[in-house]
Amino acid sequence: MSYDDVEIEDMEWNEELQSYTYPCPCGDLFQITKEDLKLGEEIARCPSCSLYITVIYNMEDFTADSNKALQPSKQQPVTVA
Amino acid sequence: MEESEQVKIEEKIERLWSWGAGTDGQLGTGRLQDEQIPQQLSLSLPSVSSLACGGAHVIALTSDGKVLSWGRGNSGQLGHGEVVNNLLYPKAITSLDNYFITHVSAGWGHSGFVSDSGCLFTCGDGSFGQLGHGDYASHSSPIKVSSFVDQNVAQVACGMRHSLVLLKGCLSNQVYGFGSGKRGQLGVSKDKIKSINLPKVISGFEDEEIVGISANGDHSAALSVDGHLYTWGRGFKGYEDSHLPQCLNSTSKFTKVTLGWNHALAMTGEGKVYMLGGNHLGVLSDLHNARPAKSLFDSREANLEKAPGLDGTKITDIATGAEHSVLVTENGEIKTWGWGEHGQLGLGDDGDRISPVTVNLGYDLNEAASIRVYCGSGFTFALTKP
Repeated sequence: MSYDDVEIEDMEWNEELQSYTYPCPCGDLFQITKEDLKLGEEIARCPSCSLYITVIYNMEDFTADSNKALQPSKQQPVTVA
Repeated sequence: MEESEQVKIEEKIERLWSWGAGTDGQLGTGRLQDEQIPQQLSLSLPSVSSLACGGAHVIALTSDGKVLSWGRGNSGQLGHGEVVNNLLYPKAITSLDNYFITHVSAGWGHSGFVSDSGCLFTCGDGSFGQLGHGDYASHSSPIKVSSFVDQNVAQVACGMRHSLVLLKGCLSNQVYGFGSGKRGQLGVSKDKIKSINLPKVISGFEDEEIVGISANGDHSAALSVDGHLYTWGRGFKGYEDSHLPQCLNSTSKFTKVTLGWNHALAMTGEGKVYMLGGNHLGVLSDLHNARPAKSLFDSREANLEKAPGLDGTKITDIATGAEHSVLVTENGEIKTWGWGEHGQLGLGDDGDRISPVTVNLGYDLNEAASIRVYCGSGFTFALTKP
């Protein structure tokens, strides 16, 4: 059973993981790659537990011109003060 | 003789236990692993007065106003001026040394600190404006929130991607919200707000004195001095999101409220505990049984149920993780229920429980005068004082 339905615009692009991510209640992150999204995959899994979420997105945003792909909020670089 | 003196001295110290998800060092055990059984910590912490647990980090507040933090630090949420993947042991946040800190909160990836002089400091992930500095930058050291420099901040509450602030002695504009607002968790407007990066006042408390605020996941809550409970943000189990604070229709007078990602616990002055979010509260969102979204005009009371299996036992403290619940009984027992995959119930396995089960700490808690419990997303802490 899917833990939640999450819109792609609410997911964050994680450069390190090369994946769109969303917080998992276990403390880790649900993850899905652009390649998965291009293939129409809609399940983002957590590597640490059995939970997964259903990603709500428009497949054409990822299959067409990749430059036109939706730009979700990016994790901001941390200012080290 | 000497031996008994030794025992007496030992009894005067706080004891700290942790269990559950631990792969970011958040349990303070010095290991990067989950624990299904409570681990007594041998940390040389100065007198801890309270803890705040977030997505995977912990902040400890000491009785002399100092703060220490450990666990995940990839967004700067530990406040040590550097970005670290994780920190295995408590480390003092020295940049706040000149302040006497009285209140702390830990969100998914950000942290908030309140000083006795009424200043608010935030650090960590700022991608949604949840630090309140007027931008979307993240910070690895606590930065003073300038909107409140002329105000007297009493409390801060950090959720997944939002923050709430309670001011002291300011009845007309008491509670503020900032950060992500998509599910209504800011409570600042009936219209949908994606995010705001500066604190905005929450209306609806004009006739009430608010004494407590809570945030977790996309939920927000406040308690009035008269025991009224307000909730806003993501709807509980099949209920619609609420973009403005809604007073729970109940005759009970609540004294404490804690929030998960899909449920809430509320404790009354008589030590009764109620939950919002359904019978299988805390065992993940029960989508199969979810009711169709109801209008808020349908009383939210229908969604309020007594915590199961307590048979009138008086409860003295409550805590909620993302999908699990913890309470302390007047008999000095700690009970847990909900999601248990990471051992966050402390029952020695990874199973779920649908009603409270007693946790064995291997220590007689009757000896302790005070037992407090704290939950992060997938982990749990217990703090006992002699």
